[in-house]
Amino acid sequence: MTPILEMKGLTKYYGRVAAVEDINFTLFPGEVHALLGENGAGKSTLTKMIAGVVEPSSGEILLDGKQVRLDTPAEALETGIAMVFQETSLVPSMTVAQNLFMGNERFFNRLRGINIAAQQFMQALNFQVDPTALVQTLGAAKKQMIEIARAMLSEARIIVFDEPTATLTPEEKRHFFDLVKTLQKRGVAVIFISHALEEALAISDRITILRDGRHVVTDNTTSFDRDTIVQAMVGRSLSEELYGTRKNVVRRPGERVLQVSNLRMANVVRNNSLSVFAGQVTGVFGLVGSGRTETFKVVAGALKRNYLNGGEIFIHGKRVRYRVPAQSLHQRVAYITEDRKVEGFFETMSIKANIFIGWLAKAGWKTFWIRRKRVDEIGEDWAKSLHIRSVTNDAKVIELSGGNQQKVVIAKSLIQDPDLIIFDEPTRGVDVGAIAEIHHMIERLADEGKAVVVISSYLPEVMQLSDRLLVARQGRIVEEFSPLDATEEKLMYAAVH
Amino acid sequence: MEQNTEKDGGHGGAGPMAMLSGVLGKGGFDQLRIVTLLFLAIFILYSVVLPGFFSVGNLLTLMRTVSVLGILGLGMAIVVIGRGIDLSMIATLAVPSALVLTLAAKGFGVVPAVGIGLMLAISIGVLNGILVAYAEIPSLFTTLAVGIGVAGIGQIGLFDYEIVSWPPALDGIAWIGRGSFYGVPYSVLAFGVAAIVIGIFLRRTRYGMFVYASGDNPGATRLTGIPLRPVLVMQYVISSCVAFFAGMVLAASSASMDTRIFNLTWIYDVILVVVLGGIGLSGGRGGVANVIIGTLLIGTIMNGLTIMNVSFEMQNLVRGLVLLVAVLADSIINPRNEETAQQGDI
Repeated sequence: MTPILEMKGLTKYYGRVAAVEDINFTLFPGEVHALLGENGAGKSTLTKMIAGVVEPSSGEILLDGKQVRLDTPAEALETGIAMVFQETSLVPSMTVAQNLFMGNERFFNRLRGINIAAQQFMQALNFQVDPTALVQTLGAAKKQMIEIARAMLSEARIIVFDEPTATLTPEEKRHFFDLVKTLQKRGVAVIFISHALEEALAISDRITILRDGRHVVTDNTTSFDRDTIVQAMVGRSLSEELYGTRKNVVRRPGERVLQVSNLRMANVVRNNSLSVFAGQVTGVFGLVGSGRTETFKVVAGALKRNYLNGGEIFIHGKRVRYRVPAQSLHQRVAYITEDRKVEGFFETMSIKANIFIGWLAKAGWKTFWIRRKRVDEIGEDWAKSLHIRSVTNDAKVIELSGGNQQKVVIAKSLIQDPDLIIFDEPTRGVDVGAIAEIHHMIERLADEGKAVVVISSYLPEVMQLSDRLLVARQGRIVEEFSPLDATEEKLMYAAVH
Repeated sequence: MEQNTEKDGGHGGAGPMAMLSGVLGKGGFDQLRIVTLLFLAIFILYSVVLPGFFSVGNLLTLMRTVSVLGILGLGMAIVVIGRGIDLSMIATLAVPSALVLTLAAKGFGVVPAVGIGLMLAISIGVLNGILVAYAEIPSLFTTLAVGIGVAGIGQIGLFDYEIVSWPPALDGIAWIGRGSFYGVPYSVLAFGVAAIVIGIFLRRTRYGMFVYASGDNPGATRLTGIPLRPVLVMQYVISSCVAFFAGMVLAASSASMDTRIFNLTWIYDVILVVVLGGIGLSGGRGGVANVIIGTLLIGTIMNGLTIMNVSFEMQNLVRGLVLLVAVLADSIINPRNEETAQQGDI
């Protein structure tokens, strides 16, 4: 059989860092091909190159044996490659039918016409979705159905699913797997990116594993089991050190630093109550939309407006209500963002200046003049103590690797000497070596008696770091575990709804 | 979960623009250097080709004609570095200074007259700042509306004539725009002093650093615990004060203040000077040196065209082209970061 898609020596550089390097990959018609790897292994970059979102630095993509150049997603779609992203790309305020036909409307677009066409098309796919419903009223699974229907409508021959099941309930997942089987029967080739190994094992025909941007292995699914996959994904002792060792001692709680009771915010945080204690790491696990980030952003005053609709927040027993982070800063509460590019660092400034500005924000009105020497001292001290690696500390932050950028953002907060530190996804998009360092830093902060919160959607991370585990679901903390008796399964079971 | 961190680094994708950006941006060729070289090239060319260009008299004339523009550019630079724009500067140049002239003529003392003018300028800045920072109206619309409003107020009631002449009562401070110091006109010195003061403010003080931070990344500025909104208000207050200062210099040097000046296209020249010098409209970049070199370049070009007896309309065309090229170069060299750009910002 001739492959429908073939990649030869595909490489993508971001700056001097290779996101993927020299990848060879083949995909046959009617095949479900699982693409597995750790965070940052290069799965997303690879599929984005297939879908025309990202331009390869070198290497070639062959479709039906012919070399193609895909500059835009539209071009990829035309050649029959559709991508269903993690975050859905639907317009929430439009109906299902409008979303389905978006970009293909006739010049005079009759709603009735597209509603009927959508109804017929959805029925042909055996999807039970009302075409006149607004997308914002639908659940994650139905949204995904629409995305898939849209891909089918454009006569896609290759569909790339990026973490399709992450937000689905077990029931919805079964639907999704049935759907993939249907696609397969129609001769559609499916690329399936997932962290859920069991799903990959259950659904795929072949599995490709990436590690650190390089191809590790491709083989028939029957020749894999969970252990061999994990081994191939991890493939290094460092990861053992990172996630392998189970905790057998937990830190004892100190003073109660944060108490949240019945916090409400829009319909994202619903009557949330929790406590955080000094001298230990409180892990917060939850899926997307569980309100975990929003809860702690309200606590730190980091949300753009005052979204505290109800409930109370106590820091050290004192009732607080922060409207801007400038207030929480002086009561030694720090929130370290999950999105460092958007609200983390200053890209035009040097490492030193980024760290110094954190100090400056706390320094108060008396500091008026800035002395270069002071910037150098403070910046270099912290860059050294956090092992920020760069040719010089005058380098701009934007030129650093993800791990070093994250360390700069952390340094900028730690220099403000907080005693409640909220890490939101502290190792997102961070290279493996830096993950270990950031984890050690978090442990050290807890040992020093700080109250540390780690919000993460990566199970091994929260399990390994936490002295207490909280699971968030649908806007509130639903269950608390001790890491001594928690398992990934138990946590995940509590987090899904 | 897989996280999408591998975003394209903000460079505008494929094609010749990206290549040019690579060549210019990475090779250490920032816009400041390009404009400096351009300035030197034109300066040398004019000196060789144009008789009478390279003479002390002409060079001083050149400097004098652009000094007020340069001062305005310095004020604008602060706002642009903070990722905004202040279109009300010309109105703030004209109305408070004309008010000072009127009040002085009516027998107020020098200090009260200047004090009231300054208060008016500050309140224009505060109004701009509050509308931008707290009401979150894009600075483009805010300052446009405020500028028109301020000019309107001046035209309706404050002054008896559209051209307010310099009263003898103010002759005590006429030196800020008139006369010269060892041959250097005071207006040029005023530009120099303003450049030094603003340069020190931007690079050596806490609030200067906050201005850069707020232009670079407003979200991060807020989350770092910097009072973002007060910093924004401060930027507009400073630009208004600078405009007022420029207005006083202009009034003193021309012995009057023409309040119709608001109708002219001067504000575009101010933006031209700032952007041409390489202060990116995307915020957080550039400094006083950029304004100075931008001012010198535009002054030199215009001076040469005047010597060549090129018509005013033709000069406008040249200015328009130069501005277009400057903005284009800006967008290539400082590509907008799509992730942090917001709708409505300029």
